[in-house]
Amino acid sequence: MVTRMRTPLACCLSLMLCAGAAHAFDLGQMLNAAGQQVQKPQQQGQQPSSAADLLKSGIDMVTGMAGCSEPEEAAIGQQIAGNLLGASPLVKDRQLQKYVNNVGRWVASQSERPDLEWHFGVIESNDINAFAAPGGYIFVTRGLYRLLQNEADLAGVLGHEIGHVIRKHHLKILQQSKMVDFGGKLLAAKAGGGNSSVQGLIGSGAEIVSRSLDKGAEFEADRIAMVLAARAGYDAFALPEVLQQIGHVGGADSSVALLFKTHPHPDERLAKLGEAVDSRFDSLKGQTLAGRFYHIK
Amino acid sequence: MTDMGRQIFHGILLAALLLAATGVHAATGGAAIKADNIKGEPFSDAQTIGTLAPGDKVEIIKKDGGWFQIKSVKGAGWVRMLSIRRGDAQKASAGGEVAGLLGLASGRAGTGQVVATTGVRGLNEEELKSAKFNGKELNLAKSFLTSKQDAQAFAAKGKLVPQQVEYLPEPATVQSSGKGDGSW
Repeated sequence: MVTRMRTPLACCLSLMLCAGAAHAFDLGQMLNAAGQQVQKPQQQGQQPSSAADLLKSGIDMVTGMAGCSEPEEAAIGQQIAGNLLGASPLVKDRQLQKYVNNVGRWVASQSERPDLEWHFGVIESNDINAFAAPGGYIFVTRGLYRLLQNEADLAGVLGHEIGHVIRKHHLKILQQSKMVDFGGKLLAAKAGGGNSSVQGLIGSGAEIVSRSLDKGAEFEADRIAMVLAARAGYDAFALPEVLQQIGHVGGADSSVALLFKTHPHPDERLAKLGEAVDSRFDSLKGQTLAGRFYHIK
Repeated sequence: MTDMGRQIFHGILLAALLLAATGVHAATGGAAIKADNIKGEPFSDAQTIGTLAPGDKVEIIKKDGGWFQIKSVKGAGWVRMLSIRRGDAQKASAGGEVAGLLGLASGRAGTGQVVATTGVRGLNEEELKSAKFNGKELNLAKSFLTSKQDAQAFAAKGKLVPQQVEYLPEPATVQSSGKGDGSW
């Protein structure tokens, strides 16, 4: 166990952040049951893996941001993921789920948290949305997946969610809730007890995933998505193409109701990406891999 | 017979050419969301053919990386895709010609109507709120874990070559997105 520069108070704060935040992509409540019914979270990879990580966690603590330890973050993410899956189960297609994990893990490997235990999945919903929970749980709806044309599109969508995880956007929201006294309970839950306290942290069910993140967090996740996709060798401009498509669906369509409620309009996201990218990626030529793309049944 | 064969051949050829020209997406309308140059080729140092002003209508022919091949009254060539907004809202809302993408998106993704008729649950706030933890599904999700090494092999199989790319800076016009400023 690596010594962490963190006080119980800071830990609590960070936990709170994790739990409360949910935007459309987080999972909050799953922690509860996770401890009892689910395989133990692997301890591997949950400790700070480097001096840099250690330093970063210390900085996070000092700045009041997302100072969760990785096991804590994983516990919160697991609770949220389990709850989300309670609302929408996985699409029962092993090849699809494995494919999404292959693409997602490759994109996540380009981030500063390559050793997190990343989990990806496609869930049964015709809504067009995707969700991220702390600890590396990422889910895309069947509705969104069906909009995708190639592997680069998928990489871009997953990259956006990976961006939320690596920048701990949801953990920060939990922290903001200032429910400091939850920290100790979370730790207890992590040790194998029930996770009702975690559930309490994240509100009712998986509602946290329907909360909005700061607009700036969404724009940041879009920028990260393009960069991670480019680093992975994909066409960086796939995510913008998906955003163009989502913009076409129109806000009046119920399939995008939650997405539009919790995110800036695609046009605004495209405009912000345009400002950020400018001419920087002019010479990039990534792959789309349309031929390898797994088409959902 | 020979003529017919030739006709069929020409038909196939035409179809192939059309497909090649349009790429994955059918040609759609669009408009410039900011001023940008039209280039002769999809490169920033290619010859500038013209300049689009915000609001200028374009026809999008295809996408190549960060570039859209377009036609417009200002010229035909290549423009950065992030300077263009796909679609023509007026047309769509008027119920006139709906761009291929719109129809595609609605049909393939499932609209609200589809959700209602198939009974597949949506993910609205109420449903999320009442969601109950499902440990079995969570375990199933975990069973699809891909290791870093396997992901690397998967990438190599697709001939994906890792690139060195710096993170993009936050545009000056956007306020802080949570860099420890306490706004979270």
